[in-house]
Amino acid sequence: MKHILLLCLTVLSGFASAVAGKVPLASHDIVPKNGGDLLVSSQMVENILDYQKYGDLFTYLQAHYFRAIFLGILIGVFIVFLLHYLIVGAKSFSHSGKKVLVYSIFKRVIHWTAALAFVVIIPTGLIMVFGKELGGGTFVLYARELHAIFTVVFIVSIFPMLLFWFVDMLPTWYDIKWVFMAGGYLSKKVTEVPAGKFNAGQKMWFWVATLGGMVMIMTGAAMYFQSFDFGIASSLGLTQIDLLRAAAIVHNIFAFAVLALFITHLYMSLFAIKGSLDSMVSGYKSEDELKYMHSVFYKKLKKEGKI
Amino acid sequence: MANTWGYGAMTNSLNDIQNAKSIIIFGANPAVNHPVGFRHFLMAKERNNAQLIVVDPRYTRTAAKADLYAQIRPGTDIPFMYGMLNIIFKNGWEDKKFINDRVYGVEDIRVEAAKWTPEKVADITGVSVEKLMQITRVHAKSTPGTLIWAMGLTQHTIGSSNTRMAPILQLCLGNMGVEGGGCNILRGHDNVQGATDMCCLSHTLPGYYGLSAGSWKYFAKSWGVDYEWLAGRFKDKKWMSAKGFTLSRWWSGVLGGKAGEDKITNAGTNVKALVCMGNGLTSIAQQAKVKEALDELELLVIADPFMNEGAILTDKKDGIYILPAASQFETSGSVTATNRSAQWRSQVIEPLYESKTDQDIMFALAKGLGFYEQFTKGMLIKENKKTFKFPEDATDEIARIIKTIGLTGWTAARLKKHQANWDKFDTISLRGYGPMKGEYYGLPWPCWTESHSGSPVLYNIHRSVKEGGMGFRNRFGLEHDGQNLLAGKGSAPKNSANKDGYPEITAKNIESVLGIKLTASEKKRIGKNWKVDTSNIIAEKCMERGIAPYGNAKARAKVWTFPDAIPIHREPLHSPRADLAKVYPTYKDKPNHYRVDTQYISKQTEKNWSKEFPINLITGRLVNMNGAGVETRSSKYLAHLSPEMFCDINPGLAANHGIRNGDMMWVHSPEGTKIKVKAKFSYSVSEDRVFLPMHFAGHFQGEDLSHKYPENTLPYAVGESANTVTNYGYDIVTQIPETKGGLCRIEKA
Amino acid sequence: MSIEMSRMKFYCDDDRCIDCDGCTVACAEAHELPVGVSRRKVVTLNEGVEGKEFSTSVACMHCTDAPCEQVCPVDCFYIREDGIVLHDKDICIGCGYCLYACPFGAPQFPRDGAFGSKGAMDKCTMCAGGPLETNSIEERELYGLNLISEGKVPVCAAMCSTKALIVGDAQDVANIYRTRIAARGKGVQGAPYGWSTAYGK
Repeated sequence: MKHILLLCLTVLSGFASAVAGKVPLASHDIVPKNGGDLLVSSQMVENILDYQKYGDLFTYLQAHYFRAIFLGILIGVFIVFLLHYLIVGAKSFSHSGKKVLVYSIFKRVIHWTAALAFVVIIPTGLIMVFGKELGGGTFVLYARELHAIFTVVFIVSIFPMLLFWFVDMLPTWYDIKWVFMAGGYLSKKVTEVPAGKFNAGQKMWFWVATLGGMVMIMTGAAMYFQSFDFGIASSLGLTQIDLLRAAAIVHNIFAFAVLALFITHLYMSLFAIKGSLDSMVSGYKSEDELKYMHSVFYKKLKKEGKI
Repeated sequence: MANTWGYGAMTNSLNDIQNAKSIIIFGANPAVNHPVGFRHFLMAKERNNAQLIVVDPRYTRTAAKADLYAQIRPGTDIPFMYGMLNIIFKNGWEDKKFINDRVYGVEDIRVEAAKWTPEKVADITGVSVEKLMQITRVHAKSTPGTLIWAMGLTQHTIGSSNTRMAPILQLCLGNMGVEGGGCNILRGHDNVQGATDMCCLSHTLPGYYGLSAGSWKYFAKSWGVDYEWLAGRFKDKKWMSAKGFTLSRWWSGVLGGKAGEDKITNAGTNVKALVCMGNGLTSIAQQAKVKEALDELELLVIADPFMNEGAILTDKKDGIYILPAASQFETSGSVTATNRSAQWRSQVIEPLYESKTDQDIMFALAKGLGFYEQFTKGMLIKENKKTFKFPEDATDEIARIIKTIGLTGWTAARLKKHQANWDKFDTISLRGYGPMKGEYYGLPWPCWTESHSGSPVLYNIHRSVKEGGMGFRNRFGLEHDGQNLLAGKGSAPKNSANKDGYPEITAKNIESVLGIKLTASEKKRIGKNWKVDTSNIIAEKCMERGIAPYGNAKARAKVWTFPDAIPIHREPLHSPRADLAKVYPTYKDKPNHYRVDTQYISKQTEKNWSKEFPINLITGRLVNMNGAGVETRSSKYLAHLSPEMFCDINPGLAANHGIRNGDMMWVHSPEGTKIKVKAKFSYSVSEDRVFLPMHFAGHFQGEDLSHKYPENTLPYAVGESANTVTNYGYDIVTQIPETKGGLCRIEKA
Repeated sequence: MSIEMSRMKFYCDDDRCIDCDGCTVACAEAHELPVGVSRRKVVTLNEGVEGKEFSTSVACMHCTDAPCEQVCPVDCFYIREDGIVLHDKDICIGCGYCLYACPFGAPQFPRDGAFGSKGAMDKCTMCAGGPLETNSIEERELYGLNLISEGKVPVCAAMCSTKALIVGDAQDVANIYRTRIAARGKGVQGAPYGWSTAYGK
């Protein structure tokens, strides 16, 4: 965790020195021979003995665990929600009452941009994970290029989103109650559920998507650019190759969370509540839905006289 | 070296180093400059348990393989070697019999060596007392020991003393004339030895014959050219015997007479035209002066396969002719290796595009200047031909004429046979077997006759002359100061008719020295002495009787014709130790030194240089680059390994100037010039010195000259030339520039 | 020594390596590599530190249980019977995992993909070409020379100035190594630098 936080902080501060493009003062490292490529320097030989740090770990995880876990998540999460749909089914709310504007046009545009990005990034990521089964070559290569290109789309959308929903998504004490109730989704009955504008589940997805997404961006960028030098590695006490290995491991692990919660979000917003897709298109939620699914938010609106 | 024992070439060979038990290297970096040859050093360490000792101002790649390393201050090799001799004499480790029989003048050396206590040496050289004692003990007691050097020893104002000091050390240890011993100077480029032997220099005719009237007459006769016609080519006959300009000061010939320039003695005129064939103009010290001279020239002709960057350096707009010369693959001929062996090279491709071989360029020039017939006549003489075949007839001409270094055996046919059978020689002793039995690989000179085996180890009296043995050359007379200069009794080569010392063979003394009688016809045909004996009778008779034609004398530690009879220490012109410069001052200024009034003491005492320029400047080479560098910088892979000019600087020194690894920095020289280079941290240099590789050109004092290159000739890498900041300073005898002992000042750019 | 038993290994003797880069340039020239791609690199450690400085030449070691082959998401690697590890550039997607898994930093990525992204991986092939038809023009252009098929020595070792770099059958290489150690009479070194990482105990 410490590494990840440090990573975030130093990237932001490291951008300044990136522009200057100076070679860092590593202890034994003289100006590298091969045109400043930090991967080709005396670090290389030191890395051979240092392999146990992250090299062994990365190889072991990637060779034996990552694919299995991704497969498990894909299948597992899907089955859980399939079962849910068959057993519990969707909730529906009356739309005859008042409607409240909850998503402005700007927020909707940003959300859908991010959605577009996710819709390309996640499947292409999975294509790469299972490249072997898909025969590799041009198809998977294009998937990789798309994965990178749509990161740009993601960057453009995720930063505004982080900003405009930041306050609403902050955790509150009643989120704990929501979790213990499983948000009321385990029963067909419609009862009042303690949630603000966004419930705990949405909040979890939000933070994974934004902060987690930023970690994905940075670790992904590290792997994409490979041979860069913003002083990050040295400030973390890592060699460049170990930085890349750590980035790969973190990227994969965060991908588990993103994948699991993305599937969840798809189910929740497309199937679990009837008409919730509409909410993100029109921007309005029905009063009925708010009363039960976002009871705290509803009470607050009532107090302010907005309803 | 030639002044010590007769020949100035590597005495043993790279292969022979595998026989050594101690290898001490002064100012050479074979791991970088002779990477393949360095294998012999490494194998000596492995198979022969040889100790490798490196004495160098910086911790080079060679030093990384050394068993003992001494980080010496540049230009203090003489104190170091005297320090070694001090310890050797004190402990009685010298080879007394060898000295007695074969060396003259050691008593004076003993007196001088006694002054150089290890403590004094430590103060001057920066090498600790313990290190000096360790190194001396190892080298003196592990025999045979060989001593290696290169530019680190020669490129100083006292270079000619340095290169006598090293032989003296080896002589005192009895390491000369033995396998695994010797003084092995590593020549730096392919065929530099050949170029030296042909004396592409301004102070002698080919084969080291000098410039006396006798030598000119010998060549005139040998070339079939009228002597008076040759004399007529000079303004005045006296200029025939006057040394010309050297490579390091040719530019003074152009600028001489201007304010602030050294005066010249050049028959009242300046040099107006320069024809430069295959020489790196940018590898000469004082580039700012070279540029000035190039700008002044009326005519500049450059012949090279790659763009000679002298043409880029100059601002001259007209009168520059760039001729595309062919490479060595587009022609054939012999080349001479650093160990005096010749190898034949065959042509693999016709000259590309419009390029011409060097010989065709010279023939065309000779034709244009009107002396083509005289120029080529020598090649027709041996077989009385009408037309010549180049290079075979040129090779045979050399063999026919050059007797001083015994090239008689180097006929084209013999050299080609070696090329065809180059796998049939032992890699350590160079002995041939099968069809090459009785010959050493490449017939290392002297190869006295057309059937001689070649001489792989010089001055070796444990072999007969027929098999390459010989004593020291009798070159300096028969006696001096009442002492006999001929070798002692019983110290003649094996199987010799004359067991003692004897003088060089002349027509007059041949019968008495060899103990033979000449026939009347032989007496008529024989040449005056062994050097000009066109009949070859002297050499043939000598071989029969086991006599070396050049005599059997003592090597001399005292050279009474030199400014310093025995080598003494003198600080570099720009010394970082102003206090020592007072105690060990340099020479008096030398007028008409290769036509240039060259400064010594006036430069050293002009001011206290070390105050303003406190850092020692070292120049040297990189393994992936060659010489002036344009050829290797035009190779994309080689250029990629060192794409920029840099300066190796100790992190401590850099920190004092606020310079970080990779920052740009200025290096200022006492000449008033400066270069902008990238700082590269390295612990191989100590905090009082910096290192600059010498291979770059294309920038000048911070200005990028890339735009001046003709289309498609820009190399992949360009940078500042180290020689823009190398200091004024020239050897007292040879005028080689003091590029290994200068000062500079650094600052962050 | 029969063909079935031979297992090819690299060995760089750091007591002999002098950082001359002959191997680097020979490889680049022979396979006509783009300038930024160095299949083989020479690295010097502890430069200037007396007694500690050493140089070694590093490239793909063609490891036993090659980690690159284990992590490749598109499974583009194949390992020959003689131990030489090769890959198919047409299947490779340039993701970089093999580089992360490699202890020796052997995989190289030329920047010739879209938007300067990494292209297909390139690495030392021990001069054994690739999956395309042996000694065909296509194989030559994509993977470089195939000298092993002609029974010749890979160019890097052939070119080594001091014969620090040796390649060949594991037994022969180990014999040479042992001879040198015995001649030097120095220390008890279990195996050359990096061998245990590459070839296991």
